[in-house]
Amino acid sequence: MSTVRRRLIPYGLLTPGLLWLILFFVVPMYFMARIALYEGSSTTGYEFAWNFSNFSDALSENDTQFVRSFYYSGVATVIALLIAYPLAYAIAFRGGKYKNLLLFAVVAPFFTTYLIRTLAWQTILSDESFIVNALQTIGLVADDGRVLDTSGSVIAGLTYNFLPFMILPIYASLERLDTSLIEAAKDLYSSATTAFRKVTLPLTGPGIVAGVLLTFIPASGDYINAEFLGSQNQAMIGNVIQSKYLVVTDYPAAAALSFVLLAIILILVVLYIRFAGSEALMGEEAEKA
Amino acid sequence: MLVKLTAAIAVLVGTLVLAACGGDGGGLESGSGDTDTSDIPTAQGGEPSGELTISNWPLYIDKQTIPNFEQETGVETQYIEDINDNTEFFGKLRPQLSQGESGGRSIIIPTDWMAAKMYDLGYVQNLDKSAIPNVEENLIPSLQSPSFDPNRDYSVPWQSGMTGIIVRKDLAPDITSINDLFDPKYKGKVTMLSEMRDTVPLVMKADGVDPAEATDQDWLDAIDKIEQAAASGQVRDFTGNDYADDLTRGDVVAAIGWSGDAVQLQADNPNIEWRMPDEGCMLWTDNMEIPIGAPNTPAALAFMNYVYDPEVAADITEYVQYVSPVAGVKEILTKRDPKLANNQLIFPDEEFTADCTIQVSPEDEEGVTEAFETVLQG
Repeated sequence: MSTVRRRLIPYGLLTPGLLWLILFFVVPMYFMARIALYEGSSTTGYEFAWNFSNFSDALSENDTQFVRSFYYSGVATVIALLIAYPLAYAIAFRGGKYKNLLLFAVVAPFFTTYLIRTLAWQTILSDESFIVNALQTIGLVADDGRVLDTSGSVIAGLTYNFLPFMILPIYASLERLDTSLIEAAKDLYSSATTAFRKVTLPLTGPGIVAGVLLTFIPASGDYINAEFLGSQNQAMIGNVIQSKYLVVTDYPAAAALSFVLLAIILILVVLYIRFAGSEALMGEEAEKA
Repeated sequence: MLVKLTAAIAVLVGTLVLAACGGDGGGLESGSGDTDTSDIPTAQGGEPSGELTISNWPLYIDKQTIPNFEQETGVETQYIEDINDNTEFFGKLRPQLSQGESGGRSIIIPTDWMAAKMYDLGYVQNLDKSAIPNVEENLIPSLQSPSFDPNRDYSVPWQSGMTGIIVRKDLAPDITSINDLFDPKYKGKVTMLSEMRDTVPLVMKADGVDPAEATDQDWLDAIDKIEQAAASGQVRDFTGNDYADDLTRGDVVAAIGWSGDAVQLQADNPNIEWRMPDEGCMLWTDNMEIPIGAPNTPAALAFMNYVYDPEVAADITEYVQYVSPVAGVKEILTKRDPKLANNQLIFPDEEFTADCTIQVSPEDEEGVTEAFETVLQG
């Protein structure tokens, strides 16, 4: 009796999560996949037809936007990492009694919605704003140049909006770091730089990998930043999908595009994890397994 | 780890294969064209009561009309501002409409061409005219028989307006025609509307093509011209009502925009001005319609009738400052606010709008829409 029950417990624990995933991930995916294979037009109606060319069309007709999306989200991820690591390091090791306050400051923007925060950036980066005038004075922006509605503003928006997702996992891994290991390295005559490179950095690897994934994946599919901080020349793949779904009402093309985006992200993530090492993602558990 | 990822890919592929095994894609199959419009139901009138949900564009009614209507009829009214763009609204509502449901809405307010398109698809009901005597009595003659609904069987005008150029007088004093928007002097300081039927015909008119007679090729040529201006950065962005912020901040000095918006914006910033383009403007009307599956049609018809009372219509005009379809509003406003009553943008005379064209759609609606959307996505 008790062994049966013990064997059943894991399944019981899995059930709520599994049901959730089936209902809100697998079922919608099924319908999306079906729609992606439809044939027809919005005036004549759509019919199921194993129309695999939707996928190749989705890729070939929107290659510019795909390249642009991954370029923007890639650059945003790198910038976010460069900002987040020192920040998380400072909070974890130098935060002292202000640690919780600083962490709160990282999370505080979430108290305002994503949309409002992005709209606020429109004002911050507008042509006559203080920031743009200052950039013009020091010559970083041409006198008749602008910041809003350029690649720069979209990348800045993406970086800003996803920064907390980079900071928090890195902070968590730094916080868990056993500082006696760094002391041991120093006892063994390692310089501060070497200790950081050989001890701190590898041990915070899981945090970095998690942060990169949490930033890069949603940023690639984002459309709010390009919509409000960019113009037609900064449209990302998310904007194309939105327009195909709601404006052109070409549902098959939109669904196929979503799947192609998913597939490319999956491939990029596999490559990244191969490169970064799966131990980094799974931590000690992967090594044990 | 790799095993898990392989499994994930397998699930993805499996989903695609599964997709063949039947089920319906949320009612998308039934979106077929020319429905027979003879079996379209008629929304019946009666004693208004219960609840009513109305979908309209933002800032398109004054603050008092809904409470007054509720008090007078006892109908509890949900007034939601969820229309920002005709095509987008249609895209959102279509899956429900194709199932014969309106999502609880009893009145929707699309623009002429979309009003007609929805009727042709069988998504809109005819109206019980005995329940709307005020409309019969007070609808201004010029709007009584539009080509898409000659007897006003299914649509009742809400407000009309003009599409032209909104400029910052201080920053772009010399812009008077659509062609001026292509002047390199204003590179990156100009926006156009993402509503294709506003932007493209205006560019056509600037090139001497009459939109009412335009072929698909004329549409595509105009889209080509817009595309070049978009790619070169001459046109900064394509917008909906949000050009208001750009103009106020001065990021944009001239925009293709709507007359009523300009009158409202002018109140805050006297440098903002709507100008009739040298080549004329676009004219449009937003129409109240009762979608199929709409609950409580007596209340919906009662509301249509209520806003056609000239006193009520005058309240709305005073606030939204678009062109009212209700006769007698000008007389009432002359007493209340003579300056408003003499504004050509609110009460345009025939001479003022002589060169203007009523909004039309291209023949190959889908192909042209796609070409225009491609421009919007760079």
